[in-house]
Amino acid sequence: MKPPAGAHPSPEVRPVDLRPLPYRLRWRPEGIFPGAHPGRGEGSEGEFRRHVSLLRQPDPRRIDLRVSLRDPHGELHVRQFAPRRSVPVATLVDLSGSMRFGEAVAGRVADLCALLALSAVRSGDNFVLFGCDAGVNEAASLPLSRRRGLEEEVRACLIAAKPRGTGASGLFEAAGRLPGRRSLVFLVSDFLMPVAEIERLLDALWRHDVIPVVVRDGAVEEGLPRWGLIELGDLETGAARLVFMRPGLRTRWLRAARERQAALAALFTRRGLRPVDLKDALDTDALAQRLMEG
Amino acid sequence: MNAASAFWDGLTRGWGVDQPAVLALLVLALLPLVASAFRRRGIASTRLIPDDPLSVAVGAGLRLAGAVAIIALVLGLAGLHRREQSVEREGTGAHLVLLLDRSSSMDNSFADRAPTGDQESKSAAAKRLLAEFVARRPHDRIAVAAFSTSPMPVLPLTDHHEVVDAAIDAIDRPGLAFTDVGRGLALAFSYFADDTDESSRAVLLVSDGAALIDRRVQEALRDAAARTPVHLYWLFLRSRGAQGIYDVPASGDDSAQANPERHLHLFLQSLGVPYRAFEATSPQAVAQAITEIDRQETRPIRYVERIPRRDLVRPAFFVAALATALLLAAKLAERQLRPAGRGAKEGTDAIDLRRAA
Repeated sequence: MKPPAGAHPSPEVRPVDLRPLPYRLRWRPEGIFPGAHPGRGEGSEGEFRRHVSLLRQPDPRRIDLRVSLRDPHGELHVRQFAPRRSVPVATLVDLSGSMRFGEAVAGRVADLCALLALSAVRSGDNFVLFGCDAGVNEAASLPLSRRRGLEEEVRACLIAAKPRGTGASGLFEAAGRLPGRRSLVFLVSDFLMPVAEIERLLDALWRHDVIPVVVRDGAVEEGLPRWGLIELGDLETGAARLVFMRPGLRTRWLRAARERQAALAALFTRRGLRPVDLKDALDTDALAQRLMEG
Repeated sequence: MNAASAFWDGLTRGWGVDQPAVLALLVLALLPLVASAFRRRGIASTRLIPDDPLSVAVGAGLRLAGAVAIIALVLGLAGLHRREQSVEREGTGAHLVLLLDRSSSMDNSFADRAPTGDQESKSAAAKRLLAEFVARRPHDRIAVAAFSTSPMPVLPLTDHHEVVDAAIDAIDRPGLAFTDVGRGLALAFSYFADDTDESSRAVLLVSDGAALIDRRVQEALRDAAARTPVHLYWLFLRSRGAQGIYDVPASGDDSAQANPERHLHLFLQSLGVPYRAFEATSPQAVAQAITEIDRQETRPIRYVERIPRRDLVRPAFFVAALATALLLAAKLAERQLRPAGRGAKEGTDAIDLRRAA
């Protein structure tokens, strides 16, 4: 079915079309809050885990008759389930000046965070947003909550946020303010800070399941012109440079970008993290696949 | 303070502007250092840009071009010029005083008659030959003096050969009555009084006769000759029938009154300065004599050459135009990055539409 001509979906209408993404964890969340993820410990309902003998778990209500009858030793088997637990989902958004490039925060980052908030709320998980520049930007942050319509709040919050300042020390502060138990943390940044600082940040997030979301822009990679002059100003430091673009320089530039990505990928791999690329536009399908892989 | 002003004088001696107030606009030349012709685009980090010396050079070159354009424009508006200058050069030549006889006998021909037909008066011949002589010696400083009843300073020592030509051009005007060689020579010597140059100095006396020299004038001349070493040339235009300077009269009447030419010759010889007399009885002989003098007076001389003021407004505007054209070319070559941020909205819209469909 083709959309009616002239029906241009406005930003207010579009969030209705957001589909929550299911996500799986590779680990068992702790805690006592009921949720949607198979948790640690033994429960009486939820996701089936295994059979144990009645002697080990004296819960006659869960006796599995079929398995017990099939057992040649005549032992009674009890079904054991994993409890359903909720997991806090946190999003740490780098709001330093460099994130202003291409209005990434108001665009794809806001899309991503709204989608994550919706998915978390639908899964019964709490969602918390931290916008971080030099410190935690309270105006661009939302406390843990699972109320309906949170995705709209998240989007409005991020569209209003003005990335500024140099460095992202706020990310460290936000890392300290995360819930004490293991959480699912999306770390949204362009990762243009020094490698040592990234390492320190990941160290600070050791407790959590971190999914780095690398914000990139094709305009400074494949979209570069072959010839011409461009004056570029650093969005953080303000230092300006005139660049005389030519095929040779473009090749070197792209090679440097590839090397930087490879170094970043190696850094994440060393810590067992699998980053998500957020390049140019939010690719929901790829994100869904990545989240389902856990 | 003094040193600074002296330095400034040294810097600006050769150069000048018509409107110094406009130079205040030169401050604008600092503008390209703080502003840029380009629209600055943000980039997440300049670390993304690979190091590129050529880009740095192009950037510096464009800033320089901007500064040069403004400087050249301001200098052009202020009316930059190179001042008239005098440059000291070395050449061969002499400081020369032409001492010309303006007595009426000079208007006669060498036959001592009013010139008729194709005959040339003595003054006309002298004028023609002297003009050629002066034209052959471009580096000489030449003074012109005339004498008749009394000496007449015509022209002090000068480099301006047009004036000398004009002065020589005027010597065939009808002359005056008498011949006062002595005071004429005194005047000629006096030209060298404040000439401290170490160049060769010569007095070229052109006359067709002589007269008695007063004894007091003789003393003054001896004094002057002792003070100022000059070469003395006497070009004696001898008319037919006149007495020569070398003729010793046969009779005993060898007085200065009877043979003034011979006695002037003797007196000049006795001055103790290098002296030569040329007795010319025809225009050809005069030419020979002048060639001889020309050959003699070839010592090195320092002379001052004048270079006229040169307007540099046009070159300044030309430089400004070149620099501006460079900047314009750079501006036209400007490209921009196209971040995905704005296009992203349409992109997600398209996705949503597809999904809705």
